[in-house]
Amino acid sequence: MSSEFNLITETKDNCVVVNTIGYINNIGGQKIVDEFYKFYGNGVNNVILDLARSNVVNSIGISFLIEIIEKLNQTNGKLIFLNLTPSIEKTFTIMGLFQFAKKSEDLETALKLL
Amino acid sequence: MHLVEYNNLIERLSVQVKSFQEGFSILSRVNTLKELGTNFSHILRGNFFISDVNIFYKNNESTAWDSVVINNKNCINCIEKLKTSADAEIQYFNAKEFSIIATLPLTDGAFWGLIIGNKIDKSEITELDKITFQMFLQLLDNAYQSFIHQQKEKQLNFSLNNRVVQLNSLIDTGIEISKLRQTSSLLELALERAAALANAARGALQMFSDDTLISEIGFPEQSDIKKVFASEKKIETYVEFKSVKYLFTLSDKESRKGIVDFDQTDEVLLSAFARQVLASIENEHLHKEALDNERMHQEIEMAATIQRRIIPQELPNIDGYDLAGINIPSLEIGGDYYDVTKLKDGRYLIIIADVAGKGFASGLLVNTLNASLNAYVEKDFKLTDIASRLNKIIYKASTPEKYITGFIAILDPNSGTIEYLNAGHNPILYSSNGNLSKLDKGGLAFGMFDFELPYQSDFIQIKPGEKILFYTDGITEAMDENDVEYSDQRLESFFLDNEITKAKTFISSLISDVKKHTADTLQSDDITALYLRRE
Repeated sequence: MSSEFNLITETKDNCVVVNTIGYINNIGGQKIVDEFYKFYGNGVNNVILDLARSNVVNSIGISFLIEIIEKLNQTNGKLIFLNLTPSIEKTFTIMGLFQFAKKSEDLETALKLL
Repeated sequence: MHLVEYNNLIERLSVQVKSFQEGFSILSRVNTLKELGTNFSHILRGNFFISDVNIFYKNNESTAWDSVVINNKNCINCIEKLKTSADAEIQYFNAKEFSIIATLPLTDGAFWGLIIGNKIDKSEITELDKITFQMFLQLLDNAYQSFIHQQKEKQLNFSLNNRVVQLNSLIDTGIEISKLRQTSSLLELALERAAALANAARGALQMFSDDTLISEIGFPEQSDIKKVFASEKKIETYVEFKSVKYLFTLSDKESRKGIVDFDQTDEVLLSAFARQVLASIENEHLHKEALDNERMHQEIEMAATIQRRIIPQELPNIDGYDLAGINIPSLEIGGDYYDVTKLKDGRYLIIIADVAGKGFASGLLVNTLNASLNAYVEKDFKLTDIASRLNKIIYKASTPEKYITGFIAILDPNSGTIEYLNAGHNPILYSSNGNLSKLDKGGLAFGMFDFELPYQSDFIQIKPGEKILFYTDGITEAMDENDVEYSDQRLESFFLDNEITKAKTFISSLISDVKKHTADTLQSDDITALYLRRE
């Protein structure tokens, strides 16, 4: 059986694009943060999180995303969410994530927002 | 203390105050305990020119010390000297590897532990240093309280926002579920939303019919469903609809510190989602039922329309005769039928029939009778032969409880001769010179038996002024509110005593009389009558 959560990462200039696959919960959130720190420690200051293949996120998963936002805020970095389902977008709005992070419909537009 | 020294002390302390302010500003911006410890170590080293500052933290008295900042690994050897008590403990050492070992109790029961190396210039810790160090400890305490308050505020905000998310999701999911027409989709949606809102690592939904598992869904999609049931920390609820039990199970509530117990809110949430699913499944069922009813209603309407088309809209004009008929169907598809058709040789075929029972099958039998009769009559078969053939056809086409009573007559309009055959139908009323005759010669109803009992026909000759009333039992058996029938006697009296000459007027008067009898009672059977009078 394949893992319940996976992610695929690619870098573009000073930006890391993380594509998530599966439930963003404690396991998923931890994997995203671990991946983030791999790049953040090496000077990458912008993150694009593509949630096209993640339909469900719980509040523990969100707490990891907030951790990334807080870290990036300290270094004037940016986090942009990509391909959010309406349900997740609404959840992030209520949780206040868009006060410190942006959202975009496609990668090209997201890169321009950086 | 000399005045010079005193002034010097004041000046140095005023410089330290600035350092405290800057230090507090730095420490109050931290997001984590590690950041707080790290930044505090930088402040101490900068102010005291100390080689190393090692910081430890413990949640409460009974837990072990966690290292936060380690500059000198040898500090581990001194960790036992970190004594916890209700007050701050500070020990100063000279001519050792570490000059200060201190513990700071915190308001939430936690402790900071500090093991501080020597000054870089190897000088001893002065009294001023001791005063300043105590002030920095106070700074750490204040910064920690500020950090704790900020964390609590964040948690409170997060928790409040999460409650709004839960409430919002519950409402949204209810709406989304109600829009889904496929049961499997709505079950998957409900399960994933319930799991996410309760912070469950995984979930399962099983469907049982009479305690037999018929289907199951797991969440997350690719997870091993057995893990849900193997978990020690799980909650479950179920709903039932039409003997199918839907069992929802969530397992392993997550927190940043590991798996924790589900709380009452989680149980309420899971139960709410299960009820939403139940409501949706019920709605879906009712929706399907309504569609089926609508389809059935349309089919009945269509069948009734076809049935009505068999009943002639207009009767032929027969020279020297006045003819009128009526068919008032009841709510269901009726089994009554009448027709008057002109044959090739100028004679007229008159038929009135009544199928036992109502519904689609009755309608179909009437159609079969109509088509067969018309075909046979045109082939110049004898009326008795036609009756035998109709009997076989109806017998084959019908179920045992279905049969047709019918009265068939062939009128020669010129001579007034009528050959008739009564197949188990009500006796047809014939008035000749004020005398009532009941035309009942014939045989058994069509389709009742397969064996060839012979049918018999008979002849009458209708003279000017004479009349015949063809009818079905919907008239004689029409009941009033006390279940009293209109009756054969009342019909016969109405037929004989009525002096109305116009056929249409007679029919409408007859119907009025029947309605007068039944009043507001619901019509339970078709009412059919055909009146023929020779002018």
